[in-house]
Amino acid sequence: MALNFQQTGSVFVRRVLLIVFIIASVAMMFVYAREGEDGALHKAQAAFSGVTAPLEYAGAVVSSATENAADSVENITANDETLNGLREYNAELVEQYAQFEEYAKENERLRQLLELKDTYSLEGVGARVIGRSSQAWSQTITLDKGEADGVDTGLTVMGSFGVVGQVISTTPHTSVVRLLTDPQSGAAAMVQSTRAEGIVRGSLEGLLYLEGLPIDAEINPGDIVLTSGLGGSYAKGLLIGTIVTIDERSGHATRRAVVSTNSEAQALEEVLVVFSADSKALPDEDTGDDDTTSTEEPS
Amino acid sequence: MTNERRTLIVIMGALLSVILQIVLAPAITVFSTQPNFMLAYVLTVSIVCPHQADPVLPFVLGLLYDLMGTGPVGAMALLFTLASFGASRVFIVVENDTLFMSLAILAGMLFGVEMCYGLILMLMQLPVSLADVFLYRALPCALYDCVVGLIIMVIMMHVLTGSKQDREMHISQL
Repeated sequence: MALNFQQTGSVFVRRVLLIVFIIASVAMMFVYAREGEDGALHKAQAAFSGVTAPLEYAGAVVSSATENAADSVENITANDETLNGLREYNAELVEQYAQFEEYAKENERLRQLLELKDTYSLEGVGARVIGRSSQAWSQTITLDKGEADGVDTGLTVMGSFGVVGQVISTTPHTSVVRLLTDPQSGAAAMVQSTRAEGIVRGSLEGLLYLEGLPIDAEINPGDIVLTSGLGGSYAKGLLIGTIVTIDERSGHATRRAVVSTNSEAQALEEVLVVFSADSKALPDEDTGDDDTTSTEEPS
Repeated sequence: MTNERRTLIVIMGALLSVILQIVLAPAITVFSTQPNFMLAYVLTVSIVCPHQADPVLPFVLGLLYDLMGTGPVGAMALLFTLASFGASRVFIVVENDTLFMSLAILAGMLFGVEMCYGLILMLMQLPVSLADVFLYRALPCALYDCVVGLIIMVIMMHVLTGSKQDREMHISQL
């Protein structure tokens, strides 16, 4: 049965609307590209993230449920040997309440954050991750702390094992953090042992690259990579990760290395937003230099 | 089905796609690839109801998508609008009402939008190569979107047209 659809509007009106919307879209793109972080469209984006924060929190709950479901499917499809192992493991854990286990894990993460805070003499505020990016093209997380807690754009954010990203927008009670693994991120960095400087960038494949290293820079897998503080976008001397492999590219004037990431978005639950850092904890491997370098974040 | 009822269903579906994008998409990420519920919905509606496809729905949903993320505002609004228009026109011109053809048009448009969005980001100084855009985002995202689009299409065909559509060619709309 073919339905005889009636026209809901004239073809002319639709064509006019189409042209108007195309012009409006292009105009917004140009304005967005030219305006600064304080521009109207950037502010609208930040405000909208605040509006959708409760939904994102619901999304985090769904994520947790999805992971549990995946675990259940894995258990169902496991072979006998694995099942026996799981039963034994389950017997060991049967007297423990799941809630206590959760608290223990949370306690561990917070303890690591506190250790990190003491190590670097960090001034900052702890925050929970309440949402994750709903778009494949960006790697961001939403935190439950905002302007009311002193969080401002540009502040460095640290996970349990080092820098994970930077605050890019805030609302009174939430903030959005661009992770280091986002292709649009970029942090001035240096190799701790040789002081070779470069830029740490994310990529679409999810790897973290240390780019722009001098071609004669002596770097090896396992070398520690720290923020250099150049440009003032990240506090100086904070741990980013370690070099995993060196990407030798013939015909390039600079070298590139793959750095281990601290910012697996799905794993982050609590983070520390850094107001200021006193980076004396990681002395130079070669020189034993332990100069104290205090860096205030740009406001 | 009356126009008012159809419009109400389309709006409800749009709201649902926004909620799914915010709540469900981050939870079903596979290797950094997420489905774009809003894009799949817009294109599906354009294909299922090609003669009613006006640019308001794609523009509004595209703008919401832009505001939800950190990319350039206006980019997805533009691509949603153009892709929706293109999908409905291609469907009318092809004059083939099989599910395969609908899906082929949907897949082509989905890939086109994802690829064009990557190109826009590159123009806006995203430091990635065209090969990376194709391999790591456009292709996997389009495939993921296709799966979502297939589900939405089956539902929308059933809800909006009772499983059959008006396939008459409307030259005046081309």
